[in-house]
Amino acid sequence: MSSDSTTSSTSTDDPANGNPDPNPNHSIEDQLASTSLTDHGDQRTPSNQENRNGVDYASASEGSAGSDQREIENSVEQVPAEVAEEEVRRSSDAAGGLTEVEEELNKGGSGRRSVVWMRTNSEVEVDGPSSPSSSGYAGERGSSASSGGASGIDEVVEDEIQEARNDSVDAVLDSQASWVPGKRHVDEDDASISWRKRKKHFFILSHSGKPIYSRYGDEHKLAGFSATLQAIISFVENGGDRVKLVRAGKHQVVFLVKGPIYLVCISCTEEPFESLRGQLELIYGQMILILTKSVNRCFEKNPKFDMTPLLGGTDVVFSSLIHSFSWNPATFLHAYTCLPLAYAIRQAAGAVLQDVADSGVLFAILMCKHKVVSLVGAQKASLHPDDMLLLANFVMSSESFRTSESFSPICLPRYNPMAFLYAYVHYFDVDTYLMLLTTSSDAFYHLKDCRIRIEMVLLKSNVLSEIQRSLVDGGMRVEDLPIDLLPRSGTFPHLGQHRLPTDSPETFRELPVGVGGPAGLWHFIYRSIFLDQYVSSEFSAPISSPKQQKRLYRAYQKLYASMHDRGIGPHKTQFRRDENYVLLCWVTQDFELYAAFDPLADKALAIKTCNRVCQWVKDVENEIFLLGASPFSW
Amino acid sequence: MGCSSSLPDRSSGRLVGTNSENGGAPDAKNIRVKLVLLGDSGVGKSCIVLRFVRGQFDPTSKVTVGASFLSQTIALQDSTTVKFEIWDTAGQERYAALAPLYYRGAAVAVVVYDITSPDSFAKAQYWVKELQKHGSPDIIMALVGNKADLHEKREVSVQDGIECAEKNGMFFIETSAKTADNINQLFEEIAKRLPRPTTS
Ligand SMILES: Nc1nc2c(ncn2[C@@H]2O[C@H](COP(=O)(O)OP(=O)(O)O)[C@@H](O)[C@H]2O)c(=O)[nH]1
Ligand SMILES: [Mg+2]
Repeated sequence: MSSDSTTSSTSTDDPANGNPDPNPNHSIEDQLASTSLTDHGDQRTPSNQENRNGVDYASASEGSAGSDQREIENSVEQVPAEVAEEEVRRSSDAAGGLTEVEEELNKGGSGRRSVVWMRTNSEVEVDGPSSPSSSGYAGERGSSASSGGASGIDEVVEDEIQEARNDSVDAVLDSQASWVPGKRHVDEDDASISWRKRKKHFFILSHSGKPIYSRYGDEHKLAGFSATLQAIISFVENGGDRVKLVRAGKHQVVFLVKGPIYLVCISCTEEPFESLRGQLELIYGQMILILTKSVNRCFEKNPKFDMTPLLGGTDVVFSSLIHSFSWNPATFLHAYTCLPLAYAIRQAAGAVLQDVADSGVLFAILMCKHKVVSLVGAQKASLHPDDMLLLANFVMSSESFRTSESFSPICLPRYNPMAFLYAYVHYFDVDTYLMLLTTSSDAFYHLKDCRIRIEMVLLKSNVLSEIQRSLVDGGMRVEDLPIDLLPRSGTFPHLGQHRLPTDSPETFRELPVGVGGPAGLWHFIYRSIFLDQYVSSEFSAPISSPKQQKRLYRAYQKLYASMHDRGIGPHKTQFRRDENYVLLCWVTQDFELYAAFDPLADKALAIKTCNRVCQWVKDVENEIFLLGASPFSW
Repeated sequence: MGCSSSLPDRSSGRLVGTNSENGGAPDAKNIRVKLVLLGDSGVGKSCIVLRFVRGQFDPTSKVTVGASFLSQTIALQDSTTVKFEIWDTAGQERYAALAPLYYRGAAVAVVVYDITSPDSFAKAQYWVKELQKHGSPDIIMALVGNKADLHEKREVSVQDGIECAEKNGMFFIETSAKTADNINQLFEEIAKRLPRPTTS
């Protein structure tokens, strides 16, 4: 199928042609057009000039689907530094790449797609001899991020961790649907084959090499292994260089040093270094949330201090956080998301929370699962989205909060890592909970009174029942993307009044029916930079299984990392096509849009559709975002 | 406004039966009392409270975080009612330094150990000392040996429990949250020992 012919019914499919968008200022067509990256870009070595302009563009040739392999190779060679280095680094490890493919196949996604994946295999099988330009990029990255193989550390690590092969156990357990809280495989240690095959390990250890936390296996049995990691870290630190990343075959070992506490991730998931490092930062933050940073003092008194008793009973908090790395985009977007609600309903909730905040509560947060209903901060107090993520994870993963109201010391690492706050937590129903944070350890009865008052208001204004309804209705669906671009009042098209009629005269009819939205749109995430909030569309076919969702999030995550690698310019766009998706990313000063399309989607139409998504989000922003919470400014 | 901080703080005007519901006049027949449970993690504090308050026993362990607050009112034979406001603490080491937050001002402290665990018995004695040093001077203390249903695994004898309690002027009882044995008795005995308010 030729994509050129699929778009012939519209005259605006060429980004360089007339601009049909009513918002000419920020049109993504302009972005792409101005970068002069037309479909068959032939700039094999993008100039530095372009990079400095913030243009980050990975173009895939648009041709027949039959020649995927060639196209994708081409596209890899075209991409500028940020994208190319990832691909090129992998090319030195072709064997590992093939193992990864087997793994994907054995984990048994949709069989057909797996075969296609195997055949085209763009992400892994980059042609061996790398071009002079791409090796240059790799070198650039190597100097900034890692001491690489030169230190001879690779061999040490390789001894410890064998190649991961088909890990069918993990494939099942890692899916969101079947995820059970708590630590698994406690019987394992570093001598177990199964332990060595796990695709992603996380460790926390002390600078003296004492284990503090391990995702898999019993920390105490891993003492020897921890000591090895500690030895690696101090070896490199003594050399005056802080180790951050070591590559060993297809494994990345990422280190994060936080005073006396070391965090390590060993992964063969192909996630970018920046993402893994961000995950280690969150794990550290979670630990601070439980203990505060004053735990460092224990190490000053006694370098051999054993921290595990202090974290007693919190395995489930960490395992739930680590699990969220594969399903919760907040973990890499550093933004929070709201439960969609009618504006008046959210206002009603916000008003009573504001009353409470005025009476000496630092933060009043009403949440439904991991989504915010409303939140209010005392004057000048602002809550970082990462703190919210960690707090919500802590509360949701600790079953005891559901049993009765509670009052617990917690620390918000971004707010003040040194001090405990006190959190009053109460569940109104199985999904909806209130958190009132205060600096006063005596405030329990006051907060309890506040909660009673809040509960009365929420019941009277139907907030709790509306929350339940929203849960049932779900959020934005790509199928509901309005097809006309007329500005409309912000109503949330739950009932599908804007749904694309099947006999639409519009241009989308030749796409496969029943999959996703117009123009092959499968999914999107829109992040408002000003609000620090994001909205993500509901998953629908064909991204329906937890495994596919995880893969898409990983792809977004990679996109995010490449877009944020060197600071965000005012405007950046990226268009990637591989055998799984077309991914489109558009970053402006106001927002970031990540969209996934059918891999055969037409590029011009996809771009146009992204503009429509942005317009749609603006139309319904009253319902999907928390707006204008006055004292709540970053 | 209902929760302005200028309102009398209930937690400071608290307890020992001097407060009645909803800010009404003190009432000799309706006693409100703050009770704190202390003891090692895993001895069954939460199960004891849930058995008492909800009549349930859930064998799947739900580690307490910080402290949970529950209340339950019982009626005594002399037609007095006692409302227990119960702080079920976590017992984990990281919160040890924060325990005063919960036992400060408590009229009753229930120190729990697990009869199958000598360690937890030692920990109970630590809590007793801590309360003698930093608790209210007139605090009523109970020593509870829980998991009495596991008598075949018993490692702390009844005699040891009684001796420890007597030495420290405590009331002693063995309970089982699992079978509900002695759970209500525990709270009834505590209620009987409460000082009755003399004010009208
Ligand atoms: N056999 C038995 N098990 C109990 C009893 N009370 C609690 N448990 C178990 O002991 C474990 C810890 O109980 P929990 O109430 O969470 O302890 P806490 O940490 O002191 O609150 C749970 O697995 C309970 O099922 C009891 O009376 N008998
Ligand atoms: Mg408990």
